[in-house]
Amino acid sequence: MNQKRIWALIIFIIGMLYFFIPLLSVFEFSLRALKGIYSFEAYRVAFQDPRFYESFGYSFVWAILTILCSMLLIIPTAYWVHLKLRKIKPVIEFITLMPFVVPAVVLAFGLIRLYGKPPLVLTGSPALLIVGYITLSMPYMYRAVDTGLRAIDVKTLTEAAQSLGAGWGTILFKIIFPNLRVAILSGVFLTFAIVMGEFTFASLLVWPAFGPYMEEIGAMRAYTPQALSVVSFLLTWLSIGLIQRVARGAPGQGQVAGAR
Amino acid sequence: MAFLDINNVSKSFNKDTAAVKDFDLQVEKGELVSFLGPSGCGKTTTLRIVAGFEKPTTGLVRIDGKDITNQPPNKRNVGMVFQAYALFPNMTVGENIGFGMKVAKKPAEEIKSRVSELLTLIHMPDFGDRYPNQLSGGQQQRVALARALALRPEVLLLDEPLSALDAKIRVALRAEIRAIQRQLGITAIYVTHDQEEALSLSDRVVVMNGGKMEQVGTPFEIYNFPKTEFVAQFVGVLNSTRAEIVDPANNRLKMDGQHLQTAESMDGYHAGDQVVVAIRPERLSFASDGHKANLLECTIENIMFLGSIVRVTVKVGQYNLFMDTFNNPFLELPKIGDKVQITCSREAVLVVK
Repeated sequence: MNQKRIWALIIFIIGMLYFFIPLLSVFEFSLRALKGIYSFEAYRVAFQDPRFYESFGYSFVWAILTILCSMLLIIPTAYWVHLKLRKIKPVIEFITLMPFVVPAVVLAFGLIRLYGKPPLVLTGSPALLIVGYITLSMPYMYRAVDTGLRAIDVKTLTEAAQSLGAGWGTILFKIIFPNLRVAILSGVFLTFAIVMGEFTFASLLVWPAFGPYMEEIGAMRAYTPQALSVVSFLLTWLSIGLIQRVARGAPGQGQVAGAR
Repeated sequence: MAFLDINNVSKSFNKDTAAVKDFDLQVEKGELVSFLGPSGCGKTTTLRIVAGFEKPTTGLVRIDGKDITNQPPNKRNVGMVFQAYALFPNMTVGENIGFGMKVAKKPAEEIKSRVSELLTLIHMPDFGDRYPNQLSGGQQQRVALARALALRPEVLLLDEPLSALDAKIRVALRAEIRAIQRQLGITAIYVTHDQEEALSLSDRVVVMNGGKMEQVGTPFEIYNFPKTEFVAQFVGVLNSTRAEIVDPANNRLKMDGQHLQTAESMDGYHAGDQVVVAIRPERLSFASDGHKANLLECTIENIMFLGSIVRVTVKVGQYNLFMDTFNNPFLELPKIGDKVQITCSREAVLVVK
């Protein structure tokens, strides 16, 4: 084995250790709920708590609704910008990056102010939560879709479809969406992960979501939050694994959208 | 009445530049017309106006008497083959070809039958279940052609369909395209910057430059009787030089001290007028092979063996001219530096504007 490969291997091992040691520590700590032995007691406590299922289910439903609304908003927008409005692409990209810059607390209070009075009153309705989640997940969904659109010749595919008699609906749902499948899924899973773990919005708007539940458990218990962290890591890896699986299985598609 | 009428069409993208100026062309049913010209000459813009992807600033487009100028592209029944193939990556070859028919809500049986018919036409009967990324470039372009033909369009538009392919496949595929177009009797517009393609494929050629039509004619007319200096220079290899009209009544000119006679009419010209004369390399020959009306003294500058053709560069006064002669292994060619006489007929000397 030559010197370059040895160094590459060393750096790889260091990287793996840097990444996995903290995770292993969390996992090891989560097994210590019962004194003196390793057990899955913390996991049992977590999964036997009815509030776990209530909050998880609640966040799951809103995650799905957020994903659907986000897709309907962002995909046609990104497509139209790519097709007809390339000049304003930098402006759109700037807007989609704003949620990184503006703190979630400020976003939450902004939404409360905006939708707390007529003509559109959403405070008191979980719809406001969706609005907040769409805003938070916008950078990820837009970036994923934008990366997917860059990998296909949007203009020529659109014109080819038009020359064959297709209208905008057919073009979007039969040509563009299927060719962005991997990119969309990438955005979907990122959005799902964000919504499931989101705390600020749900807490300030006082909704029984999974994020506040995790925070509450963390304040009250020692080992159960670590168990839940391991579970959420596993969920994230499962999502990424599914993206890779779909990308490999997608016919005629060589792209995998790059997630941040 | 022409089947396709592109009537005084102009297109400007901004105040200062016109991409297409006063384009006027009538195409008969079943005719294949090529738009030939360098990049940026307006040929693709004109094609896109016919397809409906661009709106003309002025002018009309009619197909079979119907004004389609303001119709959206998905309502025109005009088939298009793109340079980049534009096959839908998420669909099989069969699904790509049947896409237009599916959009038009044709019955499934009809779609299946038509797809099978077209796969046979393009000599790919067993490729229906493959995806575009499993095909070669030439195969993809054939599928793109079949897809454009599926709905039996009134006009077929081809935008440099072969430019992404290598030379051998281009030659084979253009013959196929022409055969299919003739077999179906479909009216077609073919955009290309490759003059060999345009000349070999077309019933007529429109040579364009700077958004304008320079000349319209059959390939024979365009090549042998170019009307402008641009056409003469762009189509084929051409020797062009400056000359002075000496005797317009007898069609005599002087090129760098040597006399030439042309068969072209000198009406409107006067003695002393400066013109451009053009002579095709294949119209020149060694005087030792047979003496024609024009005789020029020259020196051999270079000899290039091109296979079936031998290209000799000769210096006539200040000008270097190309002379093409058929390769003959038993013919002894002169050597570089030799002083020789070359000859050509009156008809070979073209006077271009």
